[in-house]
Amino acid sequence: MIKKTVIILAGFFTLLSCTVVQEYEKININDPDMALTADKTDRFETNFQSYREAAAGANGGKSGGGCGCN
Amino acid sequence: MNKLRISILLTCITALSYGQTSDTTSVFKKRVLENIEIDFITSYYTQDGDNASVTGGIGTEKLTDVTPTFTVSVPLNDDDVLSIDAGISAYTSASSSNLDPFDRRSSGNINASPWVESSGASGGDAWTNITGSYTHNSDDRNKIWSANLSLSNEYDYRSVGFGGSYTHLFNKKNTEISAKLNAYIDSWNPEYPSEIRSYLNNQNLALGLFSGVNIYHEDGTLMDKNGANAWRPLNSELIVDKGRNTISSSFSFSQILSRNTQLSIFVDVVQQSGWLANPMQRVYFKDKENFYVGNPDNISSYTTPGVTNIFMLGDDIERLPDTRLKIPIGARLNHYFNEHLTLRTYYRFYSDDWGVTSHTIQVEAPVKLGKHMTIIPSYRNYSQSAADYFASFDEHLSTSEFYTSDYDLSKFTANQYGIGLRYTDLLTEKKIWKLGLKQINLKFSMYERSSGLTANIITAGVKFVLDK
Repeated sequence: MIKKTVIILAGFFTLLSCTVVQEYEKININDPDMALTADKTDRFETNFQSYREAAAGANGGKSGGGCGCN
Repeated sequence: MNKLRISILLTCITALSYGQTSDTTSVFKKRVLENIEIDFITSYYTQDGDNASVTGGIGTEKLTDVTPTFTVSVPLNDDDVLSIDAGISAYTSASSSNLDPFDRRSSGNINASPWVESSGASGGDAWTNITGSYTHNSDDRNKIWSANLSLSNEYDYRSVGFGGSYTHLFNKKNTEISAKLNAYIDSWNPEYPSEIRSYLNNQNLALGLFSGVNIYHEDGTLMDKNGANAWRPLNSELIVDKGRNTISSSFSFSQILSRNTQLSIFVDVVQQSGWLANPMQRVYFKDKENFYVGNPDNISSYTTPGVTNIFMLGDDIERLPDTRLKIPIGARLNHYFNEHLTLRTYYRFYSDDWGVTSHTIQVEAPVKLGKHMTIIPSYRNYSQSAADYFASFDEHLSTSEFYTSDYDLSKFTANQYGIGLRYTDLLTEKKIWKLGLKQINLKFSMYERSSGLTANIITAGVKFVLDK
């Protein structure tokens, strides 16, 4: 189910991006605020959330293990 | 013949010139990391609430934590980067201190309460961690391999983690797919609630912790320590398997959708096995009689915040299944509106086989105030359903196989409001010795949970670049 969903979404967005953005057009995409990862300073917030909440992961960072947290 | 020789010569020169072009390209490829970078990040966290899991779902949750860390990233050559991340998390916890709440003895009685911090050794601890990671990039920067090793330690918990990842960029770096696999081999050095530990060690209520201490029935009458109905823990067996292993696989797909918009999808599959419950956390059963130490006049107000000199003896420690499968799926969508405003959004759906499902929504709106300053307001909403094994204080049945009164596994919603300030100087004009200041971050967040828990966290970070 998850595999199918990922394949469908991947295909959808690949098709969606038929117009390829060239390197010289990526000035806005390359802005640090556009990064598709959490900021380094957010790691502590992510850490306390993984203790105080049952859910964790799917944010490009650690998703379990290494602590006595949930 | 001469024409043939000239043709061969020209062909060779042409071939060589292609070779030169290729060499030249590799010589002038951009370094993945130009200079050594050093990050100092620290946080100060406080929380308070009335549902401490160490005392079975009631009691003070007061906790403070200070975590200084630093990360050093070293370019080994044009393609490879080595990073070392080390940190200490030092905390004091009123809740954890009540693992042994009986440290204030006076004239034969034990002055304990789930609402008052104990001075026991379990009230504070330090978690130390060091992680090393090595990253290699291909010449065209379209393939990235990485490996990592981590070690962490605290008084009752140790962990060794290792893993690796592979990232592939294609479609003129408009599309990125990544796979990551990590394993954590963890182990408990278990600490148990002191009354349960004392009973199991001595098998006699006249010895150990209870020597010379009165125990009372819930109606306030004195309990006969040798009677058939005397208090004793439900189970005589505590932690059997001290290990806790985690295999975590992560897959991500990122796509540039336009000059101003990009998106990423994350899917994790996390399998845990071993002792997944916390041996410090008490559970009370509603089908078992309750027993107390302290002042019997205070029994009727035991659940009232602030009551002192009364403590209910635990029936058992938390028990949870020895496996857990977690599947979080997340998506991040960022849009660049203009040179002043960017919108960062994130959504995650989470499900596990303990019956928890959750939704997380987060929005950040970085606003550039000038050449160097950015202000970043943020909002996060989180909601989860309760785990199948959760019940509140004194609501479990002793006939159940699994039980917990940890409110982190209860049904709740939480809101988090944050404001961040960032100073960036890409040219690192300000210097301290050979260190050029690249970035300063400051962030404050306030967290409110529908269960009543509140928390605040302040984070500060400084990034330096070492001059060559």
